[in-house]
This record gives sequence, structure tokens and C-alpha cells, in this order.
Amino acid sequence: MPSVSVVITTHDRPHLLRRAVESARAAGESVEVVVVDDASTDETAEVCASIPNIRYVRIESNRRVAGARNVGLLACAGEYLSFLDDDDLRLPGSLDSQVALLESQPEAGMVYGQALVVDQTGAQSGRPYPASCPRGDVFWQLLRQNFVPCGSAVFRRSCLYRVGLLDDTVPGLDDWDLWIRIAELYPVATLEKPVSVWRRSSPASGQGTSQAAALVARCRRQWLERWMMLPRALDATRPARREAWRHFSANMANHLVCETGRALACGRFGQAALSASAALRLFPLEVARAPFDRARVRAVLGRLQDKWSALEARS
Amino acid sequence: MRGGKSYAPSQNRMPSVSVIIPTHRRPHLLRRAVESARAAGESVEVVVVDDASADETARVCRKLAGIKYVRLERNQGVAGARNVGILASSADYVAFLDDDDLRLPGSLDLQREALAADQRAGFACGAMLMSDQSYRPTGEVFAPSHPGGDAFWELLELEFPVMPLSTLIRRECFLRVGLLGRHLSGIDDWDIFVRIAEHYPVLVTGRPVGLYRRPTPSSGQGSSAQAAQLRRVARHQLQLLRLPRAQAAPAGRRRAARGRALNRLADTLLWNAAWQVPRKEFGFACANILAALRLNPLRAARPGAYRKLLASLLAERGAGRDEGSASSGEGISGE
Repeated sequence: MPSVSVVITTHDRPHLLRRAVESARAAGESVEVVVVDDASTDETAEVCASIPNIRYVRIESNRRVAGARNVGLLACAGEYLSFLDDDDLRLPGSLDSQVALLESQPEAGMVYGQALVVDQTGAQSGRPYPASCPRGDVFWQLLRQNFVPCGSAVFRRSCLYRVGLLDDTVPGLDDWDLWIRIAELYPVATLEKPVSVWRRSSPASGQGTSQAAALVARCRRQWLERWMMLPRALDATRPARREAWRHFSANMANHLVCETGRALACGRFGQAALSASAALRLFPLEVARAPFDRARVRAVLGRLQDKWSALEARS
Repeated sequence: MRGGKSYAPSQNRMPSVSVIIPTHRRPHLLRRAVESARAAGESVEVVVVDDASADETARVCRKLAGIKYVRLERNQGVAGARNVGILASSADYVAFLDDDDLRLPGSLDLQREALAADQRAGFACGAMLMSDQSYRPTGEVFAPSHPGGDAFWELLELEFPVMPLSTLIRRECFLRVGLLGRHLSGIDDWDIFVRIAEHYPVLVTGRPVGLYRRPTPSSGQGSSAQAAQLRRVARHQLQLLRLPRAQAAPAGRRRAARGRALNRLADTLLWNAAWQVPRKEFGFACANILAALRLNPLRAARPGAYRKLLASLLAERGAGRDEGSASSGEGISGE
């Protein structure tokens, strides 16, 4: 019986899938790989049929990522579970070392590690994320920002029996939501080295960024209506809650400003306007403070300058 | 496919049916439900999902031998608890049981055999006996209003109401259509049955398989929330009409499905109002009538729709007279 299962959700990207499956299999001695095909309309089924030793599950009408991940959890048998997106990779041996860490820390509910960040071409961009991995009781830190890359986490099946499955009503936030619910009840272990490769979307690819504003709006609602309603957050003192909100909103505003800059840099002015207006609407205080944050202003100006010179060069 | 093979050698050890009982703060009822589930078939696995009850549910469950007890630390609602139960269960067939309802002896075996005999079917549906609060059958039987087979449109149009108590579901269905919608607690069962029926035929038997404990009128359970619930049904039907099979149908077919569902919802709301008036629940009755008018003005504005209501009003006036007049207004549900 495999002790660790990797749930790979996929939708219309068969060309990337094989690499993801192979990386997952190379990440441990006996890894059960469950591929959940979320109603792909292309040749994903044939590609999966040609990959030996995977459990292939096909959902007939699209349930989005969280719904597909839940189905994957239902289909897999491992005691330790992890998710992998079809465009991300696991590093060799990483699952075994993370599982060993969890076995040595029976009280920990999950373990995570760093992710190497690459761009759409596969070239490494920047340092591994997160730069430092908080461990132990990370509930309040997780309420500030999500520093757990989805493909880098391994958690126990028994956690799900206590906190429930993924919430399929918050697309894009379902993993963060699960980490928070696990961290509310369990200490979190870390393996402070890269364990996965995270292919980051770029504004040019349109993937992800186009919904940055909507995602942040959803996130704000989730934060206020769900995460702050968790018993541990409710029991906290007002200053603690306010402190958490300050960090969270600053991070979100920062994220939106960065997205604005990235969208401007590749000429997607519509997206930039959406992100900027969302920042103004949702986090007006933080945005008002932004002009006084020199590093951020410099970053945005730098991107604008690049854009301007690119435009000039073209004309 | 792979799983089916590896299960075969250990068939006698594997449970054949998993019964998932979500429970929340009703430990006094739980034991009875668990025992009924166990008597309903051979090698039944009972999974009790305690949805973060703050009372002695945990203690009661520890005393129940041979169940799988799962305790959610954070309340997930019925749908979320059922999902966790599915995850914790291991049999190829899954049944849901509420903590205040009962399964009839042998009923799970009956439905399991039916599903095993017809590999294409997604779930089996039987009849239910109605009972009062102390589990005494009232004599009413809630029988499936469908001959079986393809029931997608009938489920979608609410012509074929299916209660989770009377069904046994093939586990494989969840892998193909997804789990229950966590945000749909209350209508999560309707949603999953429609989604299963989109791809699988349904097996129907007229034999009673469960005992449904009807909420008392005085407990108010249900009546206040019902108008809101039916409006949720109306809203969610729009989502279900986006399922691939509905989308592939002509627009006229979808419009008809929408119309029929709205008619049925309006009728149900008015019927509820007529039922509440003699019990002097005028507030709820008004809420129901208003909801009907909002949902389906054309249907709810017909004078004919109020025959039953008037009849029950008159019956209340002439309280000394015969009760017979109350039954003269059956026209509503008959249309």
C-alpha cells in the first residue's frame, strides 16, 4: 500500500502532464499518482491511458480545481497526501524526505518546503519561495499571506477528518483555506529546501492575472467571513485580530499594486486598470500609504520606464 | 478498474455498503439510527460524522461498538460532513442516513443487489415510510414517482423528488461527477442526484427502504426556512441548467424545464401556506405566498391557486363542521 499519494489535477494540458507525473513518481519510493482529469475536451484521456501505473479519474463536467482535488482525495489511498498542478513539478526524493519528517513529528499535521519559481519558459526567476519557512504554530502568519506553495505541501489524511475537505466555493484560495484550517489545529513542520517547481503565470499568458482583482476581492471576503470566524481567531484579542488584518491588507494591496505594474509592463492596460481600481476600492488606506513606500514606488516607476522605452523603440 | 480487481480477493472482509450518518447535537437519536443501519444489510460499515457537536455526542459514539467515528472539529454543514464521511468510508456503495431517520431491515441488501445486477445504474431509489416524532409510522408512503431509467430531466424539473434516505449510491459516481457542494447544504442531495442522473440511469423500486421522521408542526423545524430553501432551489436550478447535457438540449427544452420547476415551486409554497393557515401560522403563510408571487407571479396570481387556501380557511371558520371540506382542494398538487 503506497504511503503517499499525489493528486494531480489537469484540464486541457496533456503536453505538460507527463512531466508532472514523472516528477511525482521520482519524488518517492512508492508514490501513488492520481490524475484527476477535470472534464478535459482534448486528448488528455489518451495521454493518461499511455502513462503506466497511474490512477486516472475523469470528472464529466468541470468542477474546477478544488472540486477536482476533492475527487482526487477520494480516489487515493495514501496516508500522506499532496497536491500537484499539471504545470508544476516535484523535485526528486522530495516526498520521501517530507514524509520522513512528518513521521518523526507525529503531532504535526502537515509539512511544506520551498518552491523553485520558474517563468513560462522554464527559466528560473528569482529565489526559492518562500525565502524563509515559518514552522510550528503558523496560524496567524498564514492569515497574513499564503507562504505555502501548493505543490510543496504534504499533509496527513487524518487532518481532513478533523477540518473537512477543500472548500470548492473559493476558486484560487482553496489550498490557502485548507492550510489555515490545518494550522489552526496542528503545528506545521518545514523542510527548508526546494521541494517543487512552481511555474508562475505571467500577465502575458493571461493565466491567473486577469482575475487578480476578483481573486483578491474573494480573498478579502473569505478572510473576514470565514477565517476570522474560526474559533481560534474569534477567541483572540482585538489587537491581535487588528494586527493580522493590517498585515493581510497591506500584503493584498501590495499584491494588487505589483499586479498593476506587471500588467502595465506587458501592455495589458485593461488588466492594470482592474487591479488598480480593486486596490483602491478594497484597500484604500494601504494604497494611500503606498506613495510613501519608496521601494514600491521605484519598482512601479522602473516597470513604467521599461514599458515606455519599449514603446519608443517600437515607434 | 484497478481498484475493483484488488478488492476481489478480500471480498468477505470488505464492507459491502457504507452508511454515512452526519450528526450534530442529537446524541439521543443517534443510537437508533446506527442500529437500524446495521440491521439493514450484511457487512455494513457505519460511518458517523460528528459535525463539531459540543455536547456528549463524542461520548455516546465511543460507546457504540463497531462504528467508524469521525469527528470534525469545525462545523462543515451537512454537505461538508457527508463529504468527509464519503472520504472515510471504504465500500463500493454509499448510503446517507440522517441521525433522526431509520433504515428498514434488509433494505440496504435489497438495493445493493439491484445495483450489482445493473452495472450501468448510478443509484437506486426506494420508497419511504413516514413516521411521527416517536417513530410510529403514520401509514403514509412516499413512493418514487418515476419508473426508473434516465431521470435527468425529471430530477431537474423537480417532478421526481428523491430523498437521500431512500437511496443507495455507487461510489464510482462521486469520482465521475464530483462530491457534494459544500455551500449547498440542504439542497446538496438534489444537486448530486441531478448530476449523477446526467450520466447514469436510475434504479427505482416501490419497496419501502427507510423511515422518515417527519418534523412536528409545532417544532417549527422547516416551516420558517422553507420559503428561503425553495428560493435557493430556484436559484440553483439555473446552475444545473448549465450542465453539459442541459446545454446540449434545445433552448426550448431548457425553458420548459425552468417553467415546470418554477410552477412546482410556486405550488409547493402555496400548498404550504394552505397547510399553515389552519394552524394559525399566518406569518409563515404570508412569507410563503409572497415567495410564490416573487418566484412565479403568473402562476401564483391565478385565483385557482388559492382554492386550497380558501378551503382550509373556511374549514377553520366552521371548526365545528366536518373536516371533509379540507380535502376538496387537492386541485393544486394535481395539476
